[in-house]
Amino acid sequence: MTDINDAIGQQMATRASDPTPALPRTGPLMIAMRNVSKSYVTEKPALNDVNVEIGSGEFVFIVGHSGSGKSTFIRLLLRELTPSRGQIIVAGQDLAKMKNWKVPYLRRNIGCVFQDFKLLPNKTSFENVAFALEVIGKSKHVIRTQVPEVLRLVGLEDKIDNYPDELSGGEQQRVSIARAFVNRPPLLLCDEPTGNLDPQTSLGIMKLLERINKTGTTVLIATHDREMVDNMRRRVIALEGGRIIRDQDRGVYGYVD
Amino acid sequence: MSINVGYFIRESMQNFRRNWVMTLGAVITIYLSLLLVGVFLVTGVLVNSVVKSVEDKVTIQVFLKDGAATADVNALQKNLLANTLVQGVEYTSKDKALEQFKEDMKQSPEIIDQLEGNPLPASLDVTLKDPRTVEDMVKAIKIDPLFTKVADRPDNPEESLKYGQQVVKKLFAFTRVIRTLEIAFVAMLAAVSLIFINNTIRLAIYARRKEIGIMRLVGASNWFIRTPFLLEGVLQSMIGATLAIVSIVGLQAAIMPRLGEALPFLPVGMDTAATAQISLVLILAGVFIGLLGSGFALRRYLKV
Repeated sequence: MTDINDAIGQQMATRASDPTPALPRTGPLMIAMRNVSKSYVTEKPALNDVNVEIGSGEFVFIVGHSGSGKSTFIRLLLRELTPSRGQIIVAGQDLAKMKNWKVPYLRRNIGCVFQDFKLLPNKTSFENVAFALEVIGKSKHVIRTQVPEVLRLVGLEDKIDNYPDELSGGEQQRVSIARAFVNRPPLLLCDEPTGNLDPQTSLGIMKLLERINKTGTTVLIATHDREMVDNMRRRVIALEGGRIIRDQDRGVYGYVD
Repeated sequence: MSINVGYFIRESMQNFRRNWVMTLGAVITIYLSLLLVGVFLVTGVLVNSVVKSVEDKVTIQVFLKDGAATADVNALQKNLLANTLVQGVEYTSKDKALEQFKEDMKQSPEIIDQLEGNPLPASLDVTLKDPRTVEDMVKAIKIDPLFTKVADRPDNPEESLKYGQQVVKKLFAFTRVIRTLEIAFVAMLAAVSLIFINNTIRLAIYARRKEIGIMRLVGASNWFIRTPFLLEGVLQSMIGATLAIVSIVGLQAAIMPRLGEALPFLPVGMDTAATAQISLVLILAGVFIGLLGSGFALRRYLKV
């Protein structure tokens, strides 16, 4: 079974080979996966022998069909899951060896953005963002200065006191990006950040993520959004059946759905 | 790390207000469970006091023959007092026994009239520390040589000892069953309450799993997430326990005088110490249940 998968994977990798394959990373690494596999029950593995390096300050798309292992990839980086085999290093820390009680401190270095925003409906934009600082024990003073600042950065300075149900989908996603970024994490993970949004709004969100990337934050986006990936011309890592079948600098989505 | 206490208190109070339906549900469940446990504890204390007063009536009377040497009787009394099972030994003289008999038989003076002289023997009345040891004590008395010397009827020692031979065994079998039942019932009620309360708190936490998920996502430490829930659980339990205690004291005030009237022959009664003890037990049980219930319920949502 694995042999066949191997063969297919290699074949596809060859077929999709691109004039600009990913070069070896030079500067400091943000993420390194070495021979990482993850199996759930006894089914075939969700991730199979994945090797990838992502440098500090990069902007990377992870693309692939449903079930290709994108979500597993993201969840491994958040250490919601531990790998069955292999080594994962995020921001210099070995996740496989990390003690459970240390995980919250890892997460303070990783901002997270999701398709469904995950905002608290009974809190305003300000309170939603402030919540992220409150629960990691930041002082009132820090909250009062940083929250308005980050809301201005995402362009919501006039929606500070609105509740999520008073905001459009794009605005809600901006609030959730503000929440992910308010702590200035070195790494921002986005799982289908534009999955619920129309193309125009999606473009705005991508521009915002690009701007955040310019501040030196590493941005990793798992997405289905073909048009976006093709327009942005950034590094693309393509997953299929739990393997990396393509890794290009300045890549495209590359599948015919 | 600076954890501000204000946050926890504010958060718990806020949750209390925002999720008041859930909170009310939890408080009522805790209240009813603890009320049941409390009522049963009170009943248990009452039954116990009745059982104990009946048991305390178990004494051993050692009948002495007329003209037994005072020195021997005193020596026997001393021997008995030296026994670790014995609480006290009292000497009843022949005259006193007759007086007592007359007092008991006041209703039928014809029996007293028929008495010639004083047929009643003097006796040593032995009270025991633990009435359940009566059989052992009787054996101990029988082998005492002084006993055979002063006993009313040395030829038949059985006749010289009176301790309600037939009644005692049945009585103790009965009280043992009652005590076992009591413990079993309280244990069962406690288990049921724990399950109920755990379930209620779990529902309350389930209703807020989204919030917990976000807290974990942005890197709140587990203790930070847990503390407001635990505080809330304890607060709910305290309120439930207080309500239960108030209800029990109220019920006691309403029912006890009537019970005393209806059953004047039973020494039912509760001192404030017993009530205080039960209150303490309820509060501690409430806090314990609140902590344990929310702790267990949270484990699912906190597993990393």
